[in-house]
Amino acid sequence: MYRGRMERDLKRWVDLGLLPQSSASAILAEYDSRESTFSVGRVLLALAALLLSASLLLLVAANWEALPRLARVAGVVLLIWLFHVLAAYFLGRGAKAVGAALLILGTMSFGAGVALVGQMYHLSGDAADAMLLWFAGACLSAAAFASAAVTTIAACLAWAFLITLYEGGDPVPAIESYFWLVPVLAVIVLTLVRYTDAGRARHLAYLLCVAWLGALYVDNPEIWLAIAFFAAGFVAFLLASLPRSPLYRLASEAGSAPPFYSFAVAVMGLVALQSEAGGAWAETAIGVGLLALALVGIGLAGARNGTVRYLAYAVFAAEILYLAFETLGSILGTSGFFLIAGVVVALVAWLVIRVERRLGRVGEASQ
Amino acid sequence: MSGVLPVARWRNPFVAALVVAALQTAVLGYMIESRASILRNGKDVLLRSAPIDPRDLLRGEYVILTYDISRISPDIVTGGLPEGAAKAELFVRLKQQPDSFWGPVEASFSPLAQTTDSIVIRSLPFSYYPSPGAPPPALYPNFGIERYYVPEGEGRVLETARSAHALSVNVRVDTDGRAQIRQVSIDGAQVYEEPLY
Repeated sequence: MYRGRMERDLKRWVDLGLLPQSSASAILAEYDSRESTFSVGRVLLALAALLLSASLLLLVAANWEALPRLARVAGVVLLIWLFHVLAAYFLGRGAKAVGAALLILGTMSFGAGVALVGQMYHLSGDAADAMLLWFAGACLSAAAFASAAVTTIAACLAWAFLITLYEGGDPVPAIESYFWLVPVLAVIVLTLVRYTDAGRARHLAYLLCVAWLGALYVDNPEIWLAIAFFAAGFVAFLLASLPRSPLYRLASEAGSAPPFYSFAVAVMGLVALQSEAGGAWAETAIGVGLLALALVGIGLAGARNGTVRYLAYAVFAAEILYLAFETLGSILGTSGFFLIAGVVVALVAWLVIRVERRLGRVGEASQ
Repeated sequence: MSGVLPVARWRNPFVAALVVAALQTAVLGYMIESRASILRNGKDVLLRSAPIDPRDLLRGEYVILTYDISRISPDIVTGGLPEGAAKAELFVRLKQQPDSFWGPVEASFSPLAQTTDSIVIRSLPFSYYPSPGAPPPALYPNFGIERYYVPEGEGRVLETARSAHALSVNVRVDTDGRAQIRQVSIDGAQVYEEPLY
């Protein structure tokens, strides 16, 4: 892990006399004191909470007649209160990991309650509503306790909401108002991520947006939509990665994700456009556009943002291979294709090495 | 990252627990009461039904029920069909037939007036697409009463009634047209009765 690598590096720098031992110890101590530091114990605790929640949900699903309904409802409500009050107690004493696990249990108990009522009254056709309600309950808890763990649960529930929409057959965005709620849920999750410092959960929200855009395109494979994806993604990418942009500060606080996902949407738009394009010329032109986009991505954000850089390399390599296969593949046959592929990969490797070396030099110069 | 905002620090976790637990309890209570009120105040309607197949899901085992009113002939639709694709609700007027089952006599995409000898039941919103063919095809609305949750392992009890086609379901319908299952019978003999709570 990162801590191990850092410890090795620090030791090396201390041995080389670049860094006094006291600074190295202080750096490690600071790192260990951070809340978001990955800890196996914390993860296992959260996992235990999820397993317990699953047993609770399955207990509801078993629908035991032995216990009268009202007793079951009372039991679930009691659990909701118990878990939240216990979480408050442990959080008050500073036991963050136990508190987070108890909050997860509390939110899952609320979900069990929603499922139980649905079962009691034989509700049907309301799965999306139930999921939305559960999401709302999770958001409430995440906001009230500023809990990163519950924010992650909320992000998963937002995903579950999108999946539920597709369970009852393909929703048609034009008339399905719930479909348009998905990006709203993503924004809510992103707000919570910022507020609760939930870090990695933000990727769930960004991926939800990307999946939602993909679903929108699958339903409307129109050229204008592909162009809109490209344009919006590219503009968002520029806003997130140009230091002059008014949103640059906000975006860079959120790490490498905003430029990466906006770049990914721009790529998605061009790939969609390429799949729609008729004729070899149009396809080649868009292919050149994709190559140019990859280079722009490397040029603008590559130095600071490794994720964008690697996505751009991948796009560049894939697109060159695709173009080579489309234009020459039919003439050359399989063996010729591998020849071309070998040459292309060597070319890309040369390019990557050049870019990486150049970026390294720029990095040194700016320090 | 700007880090945790300062508000999170002074927040008393017990207040948070109280607010969250109370609101979540209130939501569950509201859900329960909104369904129980249909059972308490709704009017009785007896529907002929048939089970389709038992399923297993998060909420447990349930039987999918289909009703005579699950297929609405376009002949009885009054007030016209929606012109474009839309999220629509269908209002269906039910009247008691000589065999004591209730059947559809009129349907409309806009609310129907209540009368003394009929009951109006309202479908869940569904996606409606106009079809160019004439006459328009039948409508297949759902009314939120298409599932019946049974204790684990009992799904087959109702399924055996499939061949006999002798399943009848007593539902209660409130003035809004929302329906709630009250009683399930096979060959006139009651198998399940739903308590208020």
